[in-house]
Amino acid sequence: VTQRTSKKVRRSGLTMPIVTARFIDNAWRRGCDFITIDLEDSVPQDRKEYARTLVREAIHAVSKGGAEAFTRINHDLMRADTEAAVWPGLKRIKYPKTEYSSEIRELDAIITHLEHERGIEPGSIEIDPGLETAVGISNAYEIASASPRVREFGATNGGYDLSRDLGVEMFVDYDQFVYCRGEAELATRALGLGVRASPFVANTTGSVSDGKRALRLAEAARHCGLLLGGGGLNPAVVESHNIGYTPSDENVRDATWVLDQYERVVASGEAWMEIEGRVIDCYEAERARGTLEWAGMCAERDREKAEAVEQVRVQMARDEKP
Amino acid sequence: MYNSKHRSWLLTSLSRSSDIAQAANSGADVVVLDLVELVTDKDKAMARRAAHPAIDTVCAGGADAYVQIDPTALDDDLRASVWPGLSGIVVSRTESVAQVTAVDDLLFSLEKERSIIPGTVSIVVSLETARGNQDAYDIINASKRVCAVTLGRADLVMDLRPEPSGEFHLMPYLIQRLIIIARALGVTPIGAWWRSPDRGLLATPENTQNAARRGRAIGFKGAMCLRTNQIDALNRAYG
Repeated sequence: VTQRTSKKVRRSGLTMPIVTARFIDNAWRRGCDFITIDLEDSVPQDRKEYARTLVREAIHAVSKGGAEAFTRINHDLMRADTEAAVWPGLKRIKYPKTEYSSEIRELDAIITHLEHERGIEPGSIEIDPGLETAVGISNAYEIASASPRVREFGATNGGYDLSRDLGVEMFVDYDQFVYCRGEAELATRALGLGVRASPFVANTTGSVSDGKRALRLAEAARHCGLLLGGGGLNPAVVESHNIGYTPSDENVRDATWVLDQYERVVASGEAWMEIEGRVIDCYEAERARGTLEWAGMCAERDREKAEAVEQVRVQMARDEKP
Repeated sequence: MYNSKHRSWLLTSLSRSSDIAQAANSGADVVVLDLVELVTDKDKAMARRAAHPAIDTVCAGGADAYVQIDPTALDDDLRASVWPGLSGIVVSRTESVAQVTAVDDLLFSLEKERSIIPGTVSIVVSLETARGNQDAYDIINASKRVCAVTLGRADLVMDLRPEPSGEFHLMPYLIQRLIIIARALGVTPIGAWWRSPDRGLLATPENTQNAARRGRAIGFKGAMCLRTNQIDALNRAYG
């Protein structure tokens, strides 16, 4: 059984407009596992060039609280944006509206060159292809397999751009993206990449800042074994994502119980047993081991972030003293 | 290739002799004698020795006998299973064309060795992994013996868990994809549309009936199950 956990803990994230200084300056306070510095939709056309000059500094600013720094580039300004974004500390380039594997290979070559030129570990920067068009969905497998830098993959659960391209409404009470998400997820799993997916939970209100809904979604995703968060736009959802994607104490106790019971099953020589109304077998044991491993990884990540935040505060206190 | 008499496929462990006798007279159209999912590693050798007499027992009970094998233990599993009376092989976790070709080749040589008419033993491919599903079209096309295709226990093997809606994550997509490919290639899609709390082909008789009704409506012909009390529901729904 392959456990589909990513090696990285990426539960929560925010996309920050790079041209709004207060968002970038305060990003480290948000408790995110990752921050996406945005050069795309939140930057007006006439400020694209100015925005590029800010990325190198922003990578440092947004990650000082322990978050991983990502940058979202513009599809049609790929080369210039990438050259402005590949600096030490950057973990990933999000490449929106990917449609062809050749685009990913081109981006890979540019990043490879820049890594070499700027003293960054070769191959360390990931590519996150965004599937936001019908063409992209049709080429999902080829896109996902175009570069070893693609380590996580999936179609969004109906982003605005995909909805517009397909002519599909966003806020309805049925799962209108079964096929799109399925195509992307099957490719992801076949290639052994980290699965970025979420279960279907109807959103008929259009709200993207509802913390309670965000918590419900994150918990539902984790119960499905889907552990990579897609991030959000509003700080109100960050804590919900951190909590929802992290196993609760009860989940940990239950996983421990399952593993205890599985030892009994193994000792009995049976392949499976029904205990207290539940089937206990190698599959349940594997899920339980996954839960315990994930709980440990989340705790470690939270500790890392808390330490980073503490260091920033100590430094700030020092700086304030005359 | 489609056999309309194959409504219910009961998966039975070859390491439990009492289950085999019971399965043979359970009313299942097909008994799938299992060497993979329900047999622990230390029981494998014993289970393989049980295959030959179990095939006779199943045939005597009036059901068709299949054996589910592990493609990574192909030689041992097939040598233990190919005997007169065997209708077919279920290849669990099929992932590649090469696996199906290897099964096909070994079946020809065993049929010859054991005086079975060449081509008698059919193949059911069980696509329980992402790789297998991704390459379903080519895998099914890899041998003329392939008569049917199923998702087997993909919910467990791929770790697909229930969503709040009750659907198994990704499963509605996988089901439709499988059925389209099966129909395109003229093989039979076997399965039911299971929902939470059903698990790994195991469900109450009532839930089995609902899964089979939904399954029939979406295009499945006959389904696998784990318990004898699920058979009646499958026979009625797929009848």
